[in-house]
Amino acid sequence: MTMTTVRVTTLANLSLVAACALLIAALTPQAVLAAAAEQPETVCIQCHSTLPDQLGAPVNLWRKSIHAENGISCNSCHGGDPRIADQAMSPAHGFLGAPKDPDVPAFCGRCHPGVLKDYLASKHGKALGKGGPTCFTCHSNHLVLKASLDLINEKTCTQCHDFERARTIKAAMMQTEGYVLSIDRRITDYQNRGIDVERLAKSLFSVRNRFHTLFHDVDVTRVKSESAQINADLGKIDQELKGIESVMHQRKLAGGIVVAFLLGLAGLLHLLKKTFD
Amino acid sequence: MTLFKRLYDWIDLRIGASEIVKKELTGYLLPRNINEWYSLGSVLLVIFALQVATGMLLMIYYIPDADKAFKSVTFIMNEVPFGWLIRLCHAVGSNLMIAVLLLHMLSTLIMNSYKSPRELNWVTGFILLTLAQGISLTGYLAPWSQLSFWATTVATNSASAIPVVGPYLVEFLRGGKLVGPATLGRFFAVHVAVLPVVIAAFIGFHLFLLKRTGVSTPPFGSIETDKRWKPESYSYQHHPGGIPFFPNYALQDATSITIYFAIFFAVVYFAPNLIFTPDAFVPANAFKTPPHIKPEWYFLANYQTLKIFPNELIGLTIQAVAMTLLALLPFLDRSPERHPLKRPLFLAGTIAGILVWLGLTIWGHYS
Repeated sequence: MTMTTVRVTTLANLSLVAACALLIAALTPQAVLAAAAEQPETVCIQCHSTLPDQLGAPVNLWRKSIHAENGISCNSCHGGDPRIADQAMSPAHGFLGAPKDPDVPAFCGRCHPGVLKDYLASKHGKALGKGGPTCFTCHSNHLVLKASLDLINEKTCTQCHDFERARTIKAAMMQTEGYVLSIDRRITDYQNRGIDVERLAKSLFSVRNRFHTLFHDVDVTRVKSESAQINADLGKIDQELKGIESVMHQRKLAGGIVVAFLLGLAGLLHLLKKTFD
Repeated sequence: MTLFKRLYDWIDLRIGASEIVKKELTGYLLPRNINEWYSLGSVLLVIFALQVATGMLLMIYYIPDADKAFKSVTFIMNEVPFGWLIRLCHAVGSNLMIAVLLLHMLSTLIMNSYKSPRELNWVTGFILLTLAQGISLTGYLAPWSQLSFWATTVATNSASAIPVVGPYLVEFLRGGKLVGPATLGRFFAVHVAVLPVVIAAFIGFHLFLLKRTGVSTPPFGSIETDKRWKPESYSYQHHPGGIPFFPNYALQDATSITIYFAIFFAVVYFAPNLIFTPDAFVPANAFKTPPHIKPEWYFLANYQTLKIFPNELIGLTIQAVAMTLLALLPFLDRSPERHPLKRPLFLAGTIAGILVWLGLTIWGHYS
């Protein structure tokens, strides 16, 4: 073999093997596209994100909101056609613009009718138009915050009144909130493992909704008695989850035995093989 | 005389079983310096058999209909006795099959066993790896989850980068403009009726080639049985003075298979979520795109490669060229030397290639 042949062979080897990264991986037409299909931005966001001050600010606020998290975009609340720039703010395409303060509950209540009902029945709702709070007061607008006990806080409540009554209500609901969140985490964990907990998730959804109706109630006695009932219902879900946890534990125990047996068997087979070497 | 011995003699009298045992087991000699890596082929045979068996069991309850597929998989996982175990074995098995195939190829590469006269062994092995990835891809859609739906959407869309025929190819793969019930139908048919048969045929051919060429001698340790192959006439590589396949190497095969099963069941029982993201348990929704769609781990390097290049066609072309070069490696690398330490450039290139692949995979995972 001549030196030239050796050099060519070596270079061929090198170039081939250096391509190894793209090689083993580049095995099928499934060479997957980089850009995962993402939802296109609406014209509202495209335009407003380039605008200054109060015209542009809502976009960044919205991006961090519970609405953005759940795919609720500008047009879901404000109407209009989000696909065509010159129709995006056309009343003919259902554009509503921003509501005035007394109209805010009805504006949000189009999607949250149950909450609207609870709010209107509460002292907060009865003070609507008379200096009372609207949805935006506690949940903010654009940076819409998920309903949670964190929304009952001194800074927000003292905008209108002192915090003492709200503090008592919050304390009564705190334990239940923690219980709901703990059960929710466990249900989500099981869902992420392919375990069918749909029925329990629906039960929790129903109990949580009942619990959330208390969020707009300012009657301390009712909040306390309802919380006790809700805790009892959560206890039933908890028991069922404990049943599932027990099964999962048994499976892991069985798995541990199987793996330990196989490792032991592998060791024995290896020793047996050595006797023939 | 035991019952077993009497039964054996009865069979032997009729089909000459002892002759087969002598020729294929006790008299089938392997190189004295054969190592553990050679047993990966047997491990792969077991994995394939297990995939077929678990796949058949899943087919009893699985419904390949877009309206029912997700519910049927949920039913298997939650209602069918041991359905969760069968499904997890099938899903984890498909991933480990690719991992073991890559290790099998890598050991062949490092030991230079792909060289003459074993070019066809390498090519059929390469085709088997591609087919295994194909069967994993088609099976990925079966649960009709958000993960399977969108991963298939992105994967089939990659074909659109091919000039002229790209859009038609995408439509052909999907059975329509978009991924939908027709896609599930054709992917399922390919997954259960076409690819398993093709893979079984290629496994058969791969084993046939092994039987005709004989087992290669590792380039390490004592190489007293090594004889350079000469391209003059057909010759089977014998290993006089070697170790018998049974019981010696059969025990090594059994050890490797048992270790594989220990790892396999450890994943099945303790870490199945290594291969499942939460989107795998949400029913497919064509109107809701999950925020982060990532392909399976073995396609992450491809995924990242396509992201690096500004043009999809360039990315695809580079991958196609690399794939072709790898497939044709034995025809391009004609050097007779097989010891990797005596081929420093080859070894450095191999290690660099593996590191680049791992780097792209990790990059793809975190990007």
